[in-house]
Amino acid sequence: MVQAEMIEASEFYELAMRYNVSGVPQTVINEGAGIILGAVSDDILLQEVMRAIDNP
Amino acid sequence: MQTRILNDDLIGQIRQLFEAQFQHPVELLFFASESSYDVCEDIKQLLEEITDLSQKIHIQNYDIDKQDDIAKKYNVQVAPALVVAGRAEDGTILDFGIRLIGAPSGYEFSSLIQAIILVSKRDSGLKDEARVKLNQLKDRVHLQVFVTPT
Repeated sequence: MVQAEMIEASEFYELAMRYNVSGVPQTVINEGAGIILGAVSDDILLQEVMRAIDNP
Repeated sequence: MQTRILNDDLIGQIRQLFEAQFQHPVELLFFASESSYDVCEDIKQLLEEITDLSQKIHIQNYDIDKQDDIAKKYNVQVAPALVVAGRAEDGTILDFGIRLIGAPSGYEFSSLIQAIILVSKRDSGLKDEARVKLNQLKDRVHLQVFVTPT
């Protein structure tokens, strides 16, 4: 149900620009439904995922 | 002879880590493309050097364009892409949804080793309450974590 990709931002610059990636790590949930800047705990990650699902 | 990417020190460390923590077989599915040939060849070599360190790691090499049916099956849209999967005893590929897009150099190299070990353990390490919530998901979730090697 969950697909998680680690993407090398400089190699995939256009993709990174699509989501305005300016710092790393940056996590994009469901093509922009949610965005997390920086490294966060799994609790926060899950919370943001749930929020992104509820507000597509 | 081809120059090795991993030095003796690193090989020793990874071997030790694998011996201590590796559990079940891991299958690496690597998708290369003509347009990123050079970097893909480097990654292929790196992956071969890693698979040489454990009999429990296997690798399958694909071309994202020529074998687009397999790429589609694993939802791989760009190359280079690596699917870090498990391998059941009957040879079935166990896809846990873990993908590495681009070259796993710098810090990302340790993420690759971590991902391999995580998959070999067949355990995400998540708390029970997180597992309960994730089990209730009705739609697919796509996470893209952007990183840089340094």
